Amino acid sequence: MSLFGAASTFGTGGTGVFGSTTTDSHNPMKDVEVTSPPDDSISCLAFSPPTMPGNFLIAGSWANDVRCWEVQDNGQTVPKAQQMHTGPVLDVCWSDDGSKVFTASCDKTAKMWDLNSNQAMQIAQHDGPIKAIHWIKAPNYSCIMTGSWDKTLKFWDTRSPNPMMSLQMPERCYCADVVYPMAVVATAERGLIVYQLENQPSEFRRIDSPLKHQHRCVAIFKDKQNKPTGFALGSIEGRVAIHYINPPNPAKDNFTFKCHRSNGTNTTTPQDIYAVNAISFHPVHGTLATVGSDGRFSFWDKDARTKLKTSEQLDQPITACCFNHNGNIFAYASSYDWSKGHEYYNPQKKNYIFLRNAAEELKPRNKK
Amino acid sequence: MVVCNFFLQGRCRYGEKCWNEHPRGESRGGGGGYNDSYGRSGGQQQQPRGGGGGGGGGGGGFRNRVWVNPSQQRGGFIQPSSFSSQGSSDWGSGGGGGGGGGGGRRENLKSSDFSFSTQNRFSALNASNAFDRGGGGRRGGAAVAEGTAGDEDDDKKLEVIQMDMDAWESSGQWGFSCYSYFKTSISGFTDLSPEELRLEYYSTRASGDLQGYINGVNQLLSQWKSRVQELKVMSPSTRLALLAELNGTAPQLSSSGFGSTPATGFGSSTSTFGRKGFDAAPPAQTSSFGFPAPSSGFGSSSTSSPSTGFGGLLAAPTQPPSGFGSSSTPSASSFSFAAPSAEKPAASSGFGSASGFSFSSAAGNAGGGFGSAFGAGSGTAFGAATASPAAGAAAVGEATGALFSPESKLTQEELNQFKAKRFTLGQIPLKPPPASMLAV
Repeated sequence: MSLFGAASTFGTGGTGVFGSTTTDSHNPMKDVEVTSPPDDSISCLAFSPPTMPGNFLIAGSWANDVRCWEVQDNGQTVPKAQQMHTGPVLDVCWSDDGSKVFTASCDKTAKMWDLNSNQAMQIAQHDGPIKAIHWIKAPNYSCIMTGSWDKTLKFWDTRSPNPMMSLQMPERCYCADVVYPMAVVATAERGLIVYQLENQPSEFRRIDSPLKHQHRCVAIFKDKQNKPTGFALGSIEGRVAIHYINPPNPAKDNFTFKCHRSNGTNTTTPQDIYAVNAISFHPVHGTLATVGSDGRFSFWDKDARTKLKTSEQLDQPITACCFNHNGNIFAYASSYDWSKGHEYYNPQKKNYIFLRNAAEELKPRNKK
Repeated sequence: MVVCNFFLQGRCRYGEKCWNEHPRGESRGGGGGYNDSYGRSGGQQQQPRGGGGGGGGGGGGFRNRVWVNPSQQRGGFIQPSSFSSQGSSDWGSGGGGGGGGGGGRRENLKSSDFSFSTQNRFSALNASNAFDRGGGGRRGGAAVAEGTAGDEDDDKKLEVIQMDMDAWESSGQWGFSCYSYFKTSISGFTDLSPEELRLEYYSTRASGDLQGYINGVNQLLSQWKSRVQELKVMSPSTRLALLAELNGTAPQLSSSGFGSTPATGFGSSTSTFGRKGFDAAPPAQTSSFGFPAPSSGFGSSSTSSPSTGFGGLLAAPTQPPSGFGSSSTPSASSFSFAAPSAEKPAASSGFGSASGFSFSSAAGNAGGGFGSAFGAGSGTAFGAATASPAAGAAAVGEATGALFSPESKLTQEELNQFKAKRFTLGQIPLKPPPASMLAV
């Protein structure tokens, strides 16, 4: 905390000795900082579901821990609890009733953390690190879906040590998203598979990737009737593809857009191209947020096909982002994402999670 | 009054303002009379309005009693080519045609760097794929769109690939990524996520063998650089190999020579020699080897398999590093993918340092070393590889469709052809030459 303490004496001094340089670029957007952030890069963020009163934020990090904060209405964050794995935590998710948190780690296990009792027990096992974990709530079953680098997608009833179902994937799972009854998994080698979850999970379609490079993140969006209708797929090449599952006119409805690049439309100098680390859809407006290795976040309206806002550049990449259940809070994590290899890794550098009021900025542009 | 002919055809531009008579009862489907201040009408010429208005622009401006449904209009739009040039300047979209068409339908984009491309209207180029260009802007987009079948098309494709490589290299993007051109994955790229690499780092840091990690990463880096360089330079054999891949005619790779993993930092022992195919088998560039090309032809193409054997997690084989291992490339300190690839990876220390690896299968040893010569970008490494041609040929002989044919498989005529100073037209062997005949 001493780092933070030191910064505040500079920052709040305002016009101090160094003048404008005291605006340290770790928080150029002047958003609320979450207290006691993890000690290593944050890999995932998740807010509690609407079934629970209040807002609780969970973050998994490369320091093998999962932390929980309560986010109060005045913006204060109160650290509540923490659990450990034996390897870096890659993904977290909540159960639909908000009582349990599921965490997936490089130690090849996934755990179920009961927040009331603060106990965590292992519920899943893979042959490789688990990269994605999601809770599925269907009318006739509930389970956990885990996607791993061992190329399998497994479904677990938390009460049994054996998976309910195991599906083989063509390659390692890089990211996944679930909005019942649809699940999308993006794998290495540009693999893209959609699963349908009704009755029991089964592969629905394999899609030819609309992107040329490695997939990095995926997020499902819903239509006006609140049914999942497509997904946004981000790659390491500063590009996001919006893909509808059954569009009336695929050629026109599906598109890609460039983002997280340095030069805008100036095509004379080579652009710096950054990876899109995470995509999140606003639960109410249907607009989306992307965060990238360039240390910026952007808000987009995919129906109007416009950009709503781009942030200032933070001094570290932004590795994860998340909206709370009613879309008022946008959380994003600033930490190193390994996009430049181990040489740029500084274990001493502080990692941050910021909270931003998202009620206004994500309103869709009016279509003419 | 004179009856308006255009109205009878359903395309009177003046609508109610027309000085001629519009007999009622005529079909008005296309009768998009427009207010002069709007730039849009039903299917007629489109005025450059900065893309504003779109189909919906007709809403307020139509004085015509007929409400031409904008969505119908959109469907009926014949996107004239003049529009695409406007479109690209407005949106800065790389895909000229696609971007223009898309831009016409949407209202003004506020920020200039939000460029997108809709599916290309030229369905021949694969409608369900996003037709867009990475990096550079409007260059090859329109050209590809208008390319007709045949060589021109191929040229454009290759040009696009070259541009992409250029952009990739200069942009500082993550290099350990697969790459594809319109659904066909281009071989020679390993797909590794930053998390996998980071996990590897953390594991080796715990075990104390960081140097092994660093070496491994540098190898991968140099492989990537050489592959990008190859594709940028586009020598004739790379060209042919690429085209074969793109057109789907390249034969499937047999694992001759590839797939060893350095034991040092990575701890996996995937044995792939003798394995006939990979999961996501990239096609082999064997076609280039059948040609009577000079040694550069041999050095240039490289095949690889998708993933590395990090920590034994993955069963897929890796391509042996082209830099011959422990001698890391000069820029060991700069991991940056954007570093100018001035160094030629194969120019680094010779074949002998291959002993730094322990290849997993004994039979494959020489084959592995031999095969790894192909990962190198230049003839010099290849020259070194001929030091063990016999072993190489033996190992290679096991695999079918290998880089070289064992002598036993060639007919006498073919052997004669290879022995001769020049090939005789009409008798050029289709099979690749035996390894032992190589004189470099």
